Parts: sequence; structure tokens; C-alpha cells
Amino acid sequence: MKVKGFLKDVGGASRVTKARLAAFENASPLPVMDDPIGNVAREWHPGKIDLVVTDVRPAGKTATTVRFERPDGKKLPPFYAGQFMVIDFPMGESLISRPYSISSAPYQARLAEHAFVEITVRRSKGDGFICDYINGSVEVGDRFRGMIGCGQFYYEPLRDAKHVVALAGGVGITPFASMAREIAHGTLDFDLTILYGSVSSDDITLKDELDQLKSDKLHIVHVLSGDEPNWNGERGFLTAELIQKYSADDTTYFICGPQVMYRFLRGELAKLNPPQRRVRFEVFGQAKDITAFEGYPQEVKDKVFNLTVVRGIHEDVIPAKATESLVVALERAGIRIETGCRSGECGFCRTKVLAGDVFICPESDGRRAADRDFGYVHACTAYPVSDVKIKIPIE
Amino acid sequence: MKFYKDHYDVIVIGGALAGLSAALMLADKGKDVLVLERHNLPGGIATSFVRGGIEIEAALHEMMSIGSRDHRLKVGKFFDDMGVDIDWLKVPEAYHAAIPGLEVTLHPGLETFAREVDAAVPGTYDKVLAVLNLCHTVFDSVNELSIHPMSKPQMLLKHEAFVKTAGYSTQEVLDTFDLPQKALDLLAPYWIYVGTGFRELPFTIFSVLMADYIGYGSYIPRKFSHEMSLKMAERAEAMGVQIEYRQHVDKILVRDGTAYGVRTARGDEIYADYVICSAYPNKVYTSMIEPADAVPVKAIKMVNGRRLSLTAFSVILILDKSAEELGIKDYSVFHGDTMDTNACYDELKGLGPYRYITCICHNLANPDATPEGTCSYSITTLPRVDGWKTVSADEYDRVKHEVAKQLIDYMSEYLGVNLLDHVLECVIETPMTVAHYTGMWNGCIYGYAHTMEDHIVARLQTAEEEHFIDHLEFSGAHQISGDGMGPAVTNGRKAAKNVLDTMAKEAKE
Ligand SMILES: Cc1cc2nc3c(=O)[nH]c(=O)nc-3n(C[C@H](O)[C@H](O)[C@H](O)COP(=O)(O)OP(=O)(O)OC[C@H]3O[C@@H](n4cnc5c(N)ncnc54)[C@H](O)[C@@H]3O)c2cc1C
Ligand code: FES
Repeated sequence: MKVKGFLKDVGGASRVTKARLAAFENASPLPVMDDPIGNVAREWHPGKIDLVVTDVRPAGKTATTVRFERPDGKKLPPFYAGQFMVIDFPMGESLISRPYSISSAPYQARLAEHAFVEITVRRSKGDGFICDYINGSVEVGDRFRGMIGCGQFYYEPLRDAKHVVALAGGVGITPFASMAREIAHGTLDFDLTILYGSVSSDDITLKDELDQLKSDKLHIVHVLSGDEPNWNGERGFLTAELIQKYSADDTTYFICGPQVMYRFLRGELAKLNPPQRRVRFEVFGQAKDITAFEGYPQEVKDKVFNLTVVRGIHEDVIPAKATESLVVALERAGIRIETGCRSGECGFCRTKVLAGDVFICPESDGRRAADRDFGYVHACTAYPVSDVKIKIPIE
Repeated sequence: MKFYKDHYDVIVIGGALAGLSAALMLADKGKDVLVLERHNLPGGIATSFVRGGIEIEAALHEMMSIGSRDHRLKVGKFFDDMGVDIDWLKVPEAYHAAIPGLEVTLHPGLETFAREVDAAVPGTYDKVLAVLNLCHTVFDSVNELSIHPMSKPQMLLKHEAFVKTAGYSTQEVLDTFDLPQKALDLLAPYWIYVGTGFRELPFTIFSVLMADYIGYGSYIPRKFSHEMSLKMAERAEAMGVQIEYRQHVDKILVRDGTAYGVRTARGDEIYADYVICSAYPNKVYTSMIEPADAVPVKAIKMVNGRRLSLTAFSVILILDKSAEELGIKDYSVFHGDTMDTNACYDELKGLGPYRYITCICHNLANPDATPEGTCSYSITTLPRVDGWKTVSADEYDRVKHEVAKQLIDYMSEYLGVNLLDHVLECVIETPMTVAHYTGMWNGCIYGYAHTMEDHIVARLQTAEEEHFIDHLEFSGAHQISGDGMGPAVTNGRKAAKNVLDTMAKEAKE
């Protein structure tokens, strides 16, 4: 066979080898740390960063807004309006994380000076843990670590309609507060109508701050479920009829609120029958009462099991209540596990079950198919129903 | 608390395909192996994720070197030998080429392929088959020589075609066949899988690419590439390998020119006789070796003398209609406004508009990939790092959306369907996404460009001299076999083999 001529053909290997050595010989001897693409990735996603509280203010009668900045006041990571942040709270021996939607706008995280993010947290009716800690104990100057820009609950122009109806219940207003601020600032472009369900007019979270932002692109419709004779706005629940009234021909619905509202709204939206792609729910949150879910083995609900936790070659055995997720058992025992959404979706808490059985909250099973086959669970939505052995990452 | 043993035989940095292949091979030989992976799952970009309850493939288009159950190729055989039992699905066609003046679907099998090209461009059967046969001869030689090296005169005798084409670019060899342009255009689409225009691409690489894909077809795992990655990891653990996720290695510890361990971001110092590293040599030699002065100038010159190859930009759509309803007919379609690979390669330097595009519809190889009445459709271009290096954090989202929109519009026009009217989920993966999840240098998924100055034959010949730190091996797309998930496995095995060979040699001494 012949390509160009015998000698040239057979000399190919040595020719390319010489070319290689020459290229290296002529190259610069100076080390170059030239990874700008990696740098952009790290600017968007630096992981957990140090934050300091610079403001704490009421956001209505039963909620508090907390502002965080970097200790040096520099820019925070970019995020999309509607996303949440995860904050670590040191509680005694434990480090407990919670997700909170960012209620401030993305542009505010990129200000040249005193860039900030805010969360707005509702006080509980007595059963809350971190939320009541925030509504009372957090002060200016406190330091936390947090991860900014998590989750999929944001406007995607390549997917969503230009007309958005947001269905918010209670503190579920927070992601829409961020969107509203960004729209008002002119850096997010769609028409947003927020149907905002609250109980009474004197306790609407973030009401004053939001009402100020109203414009022809931003409508806020307060809907009260309580009995108030002097109220001349919308009343009752967020029914199909009400939703229809504010919808355009092509509308994307964004829904964020308490778990009971999700169940109710699934029914109401079904009546309007929008295309599946036009309906976007924020994640479910941690199940309030796992025993209420279909398939939960009621006979174990009062039990406390042994949870063997493998990290590297190290093993611990800790107690785990049948009604609390593996994540809560670990946090109570002071064993660190990374979490994000705490709703089964993000997979941050991916854990291998080596032995024993768990019940997985059926509303929030966001696992990969192959993971299911090999006994991986998302520990925030997995509840022990026997003694269990798991392997988790070393933190 | 003690999380690690006092000592391992080998520490593998990176639990993706290359690292896991190395770990499997070492464990198979009874070695005590620790794998440290920065993410919380194995596979690197060979992974999947779940959006809106639907699992989505992150990266894999098709696996080469698998082969059928009765005729396994080297990667398929390695999985079988290691007991990694993957549910492979055969990709039905080689590809559909949608290029100027041509719409042709081509199938694997050298003769079948040549016949189908001939049907589109009559009178080319013999020549096209001759090209493919030459590729196959070279491919056989490469496979044999990688197992049984031999002397040069012997090589010329037994592997003439390989020897005589080694010094030429793909273009130089193809030119000798005097094929009509249209036939050449139909032979070109796979070029993007090796990522250099034909003027620079070694014919040896083109041969392996064509013989493997067209000779034997390609495969995907039923449960996405995560099935492959996870099964490798599970098997490795069953063989005694310790895998720790979320462990970021900051430093490789070196004493007297020899690697002896690593330090993680958590602060753990872990010791081993050998380290196999999946990070790019660029990153290792500029920031990971401790002490820094253990890096010889030659190592720096080597990384500076090489050109980074391609990164990836993908828009992955879950659409609310079936492939059939949308008129999507083929699993894999290559679209080009031109099939001039050199021009395409130049264009990839920028930020678009990109005109060489690869589309995959998973449902056409795996009908159950998404729920009934929906389909998954990914639109991919593989840019060079150059353009993306200029994008700042503040511009990133705008640029990403502009490019995504361009790709969606391009395909909408081709299909005659406005894809934007059907988007259930839309995921945009960029070079930054790759960098974020895998830490790969500049998000570069292809390693170093296959060029005549960085030729696989030369890589093999100079491998010994380019080994700058004892007991430190590299594995990943930046190694000899280059980019692709099949070659990743081969690169990992090569690193493990180097370790095993050195162990054997030093035991003798
Ligand atoms: C995406 C997302 C966004 C959210 N955004 C907001 C928002 O903007 N504003 C807002 O107010 N809320 C928001 N939430 C809800 C928020 O994350 C918390 O769930 C809420 O504040 C209640 O937390 P809590 O700890 O007070 O109550 P719970 O989570 O109900 O606290 C009780 C839980 O803590 C466990 N526990 C009790 N004691 C201990 C202990 N000693 N150690 C460890 N665990 C213990 C219990 O078992 C139980 O599971 C959001 C949730 C999600 C998923
Ligand atoms: S924290 Fe998101 S899945 Fe568990």
C-alpha cells in the first residue's frame, strides 16, 4: 500500500514523534493557572460560604426577614429569582440545615457594595424548631454558613409562558417576592400576577414591601380566607374560578405554599386542565406527618430503631425514630450530612442503605432508577422501619 | 475518628469511568484501593439527573467499543470480565446525516454502510468500502499493538497499513481515494466525537473511530449512563475497593520525586504506594503537587505545549409529545450547514452561532426513557474552550440562553415544529456546568486535541519520558486514548497497568 511514497510513508511514526517533542521544547516554561471557565463555575457555585447577619426586621406580624452579607461585603453568588438557600444552624453539638427561599432579588446579591440576600421566615404555632429560633434569637452580627442558589423553582424563558400566575400561600410568597423585585428592577421580563392567600389582612407576610412594587407587569391580588366584613378584595381559597379570572390564554402557574395547599391546588388546577408544562410546583418540603402517607407501616410508628452509620472505616450506632427521617436522626446525633431541599428532590443527601428497610415518602421520591436498584435513598425522605445500616459521605 | 486505613496500595483520585476502571482492574489483582470522588455519586459526566420526576441523561450519546454479546469489543469485554453486568441497548443506526443537499440514514456494518452511501451517491461503493476496510485494518493493528508491542521492522511487516498511514492526517489519506465530495461528507459526521478537523486529525484516530462505530455499532445502558457508573462503583466496592464521595483532593504528596499520598480539602492526609489522578495535568502540575518544586520544568512545558480539545454545550429538552408526533425519526442526527470539518472546527472557537450540531432522541433507542407521550431530545454542540474562556460570571446566564435559543431555533426550523411550544423541562449544560460538577480544567471534556503534533502514536512512544513523578499515574480523557467514554475506560486500565507493571518491576529489584 502507498499513501505518498515508501520512505515518507514509513517515516511517519518518527515524524510525529519529533513534532511532539519540538512542540514541547518550544512551549513556555512558566506555570499558568488558566482556568477561567472553572472560575465562573466557582463564582456561581462556591458551595457553603461565610455569611454575617446585617439586618433583622419584621415582615408582618408573624414573620421576620433576615439579611445576610459576606463578612467582607463583596458580591454574593448569582442565583435565579425563586431559588432557595441552605443555611447551617449550629444547635448544641449539631449542625442543622434548612432551606429557605431567597426573598431578596438576584441583582441585590450582585451590588458592588453591601451585596446581600434575605430570607423571610414565618414563626410556627409552637412546633417549629429553626423557624422559631430565627423569629427571636437571630441577631445582627451572627455568623452562619450558607449555600446560595439551589433548586429548580425559577422562571425559565425557554420554557415558561410570558404570563405567569403565581399561587402563593402564607410564607410561600418568598420566591415570588424575589421575582417581583427583579421584575421591578427591570432585569427579569415577564408579566407576574400573584394570587396571594392569607388568613387575615393584618397578617400578610411582606405585604408593605410587595405592594410598593406593583406595576403594569406586576399585579398582587390578596385573597383572604378569614372572615373580615370590611375587606373588599378577593375572598376564600385560591379556587379554579379565581385562578381562571387572572389567567391569560397561555399562562404558566407557579405554586408555592404549605403542603395542604398543594393538595387542594392540584384539584383546582385539574379543573382548568392546563398543559402539564405550564404547571410548576416548588418542592414539597419535609413531610409534616409521615404516618399519614399511604403505605406507611403503622405498626412501627412508635418505635425507635438502631441506625448504624458507616463513614469510611468508622461506624457509629445511633437511635432513629420511625417517624423521623434518617437525616433528622443523624442531625440529632450530631453526625453531619449534607442536605439541600430536604424534600427528596436534589439528591444532596444521597445515602446507601446497606441493610434494613426504610419507608420512602411517596410524594417526594426523586431518585435515579439505577439508584433505586442498588438501595440508594435520599435520606431526607427515608424513614427507618427496621434497624438500618447506611453509608454516608465523610463531612 | 478514623475514616481511612493507615495505608493503601493505590489511591485513585476521581470516581468517574477512568478512575473506576483503574480501581476495578487493581482490585481484580488483589490490590487495596481507595477512590476519592468530589461529587456525591460516581461517573463524572457519565451520569443522569431527575427533573420534574423524569430521569435525564447528562452526557452519553453512544458508547463505542462495546460490541454485541457474542462479539464483544475491548470495553464490553472488560465490563464482562469484571462482572459489571450492564443492560446494553443497541443504538439502531449509525447516524442520520442532515447536511447540505443530503438526508441519509446510515447503519453500522462496513458493507451496509458503504451500500447506503452508494445509494445516496451512486458509484462510490468500492471506494467507500476500501476506506472503511483500511480503517478496520489500522484499527486491528492498534488493538493488537496495544497488547503486544513489537519492533519497527516487524511492525512494518505485520502492520503495514498502520505504519504507513501513521504520519498522515485524515485529509491526506482520504485525498488519495479520490471520492466525490458528497461521499466524503457522509463519511465525516463522526469527526466531532474525536474533535479535530481532518486537516489536523491523525488518520490513526479516524480509523479507530470509524472501524469501531461503523463496524460494530454503538450501545447505551438502559438506565442511562448512571447505570454504568453505578454498577462499576458497586462492583468495585464488592471487590473490596473503598469509595468515598464528597472528598475533594487538594494536594498530591511527593517525597524524593515519588508520590506517597494525598491531602483532601477536609484536611485528611491519606497514604498510599501509588496515586492515580483523574485531574488534568495542567491543574496537577500548577497547583496540586506538594511541594510545588517537585514539578520539573519539562512537565510545565508539556502541558503548555498541548492544546485543550473540546468542551460541551447541550440543551436537553423533555418535550410533551412523542418523537413520532414531533417528526423525530432517528436516535442520532448530525446536522451541519457545511461538512467541511476544518471550517466547523474553526467555528467552534467562538460563542456561536454554531452550525455543527448533534441531536439525540433517547426514546428511539430506549422507548421507556421518558413517560409515555413525551420524549427527550438533546441538542449538543461541542465548542472549543477559547470562546467560553472569555465569558464572565455576570454575562454567563445571558450567553448561555442566547446559545441555547440559537440551537433550539435551528432544530425547530429543521423539524418544522416550534420546539419551544412543547418544553416540559429544559436543562442547559455548559462548559461551566461541566467544570462545576466534575472540576475538569476549563470544563474540557475531551482532553488534549488529537493533532499531528499530539499524535496517539507519538503519545505512546514518549509516554515513558513524560512520566515526571514516580508512582503518580494519570487517567482520563487527557491521557493517551483521548476523549470518549469508551476511551475513558481504556485510559483507566492503562493507568492501572502502569501501576501493576511498576509494582512487578520494583518487586524484582
Ligand atoms: C425549598 C424550600 C423553601 C422554603 N422557604 C421557606 C421560606 O421562605 N420561609 C419559611 O418560613 N420557610 C421556608 N421553608 C420551610 C423551612 O425550610 C422549614 O421547614 C421551616 O422553617 C420549619 O423548620 P423548623 O425547623 O422550624 O420546623 P420543622 O422542620 O418542622 O422542625 C421540626 C423538625 O426538626 C426535627 N428536630 C426537632 N428537634 C431536633 C433536634 N434537636 N435536632 C435535630 N432535629 C430536630 C424534628 O424531627 C422535625 O423534623 C422552605 C422549605 C423548602 C423545602
Ligand atoms: S436534601 Fe434534597 S434530596 Fe435530600
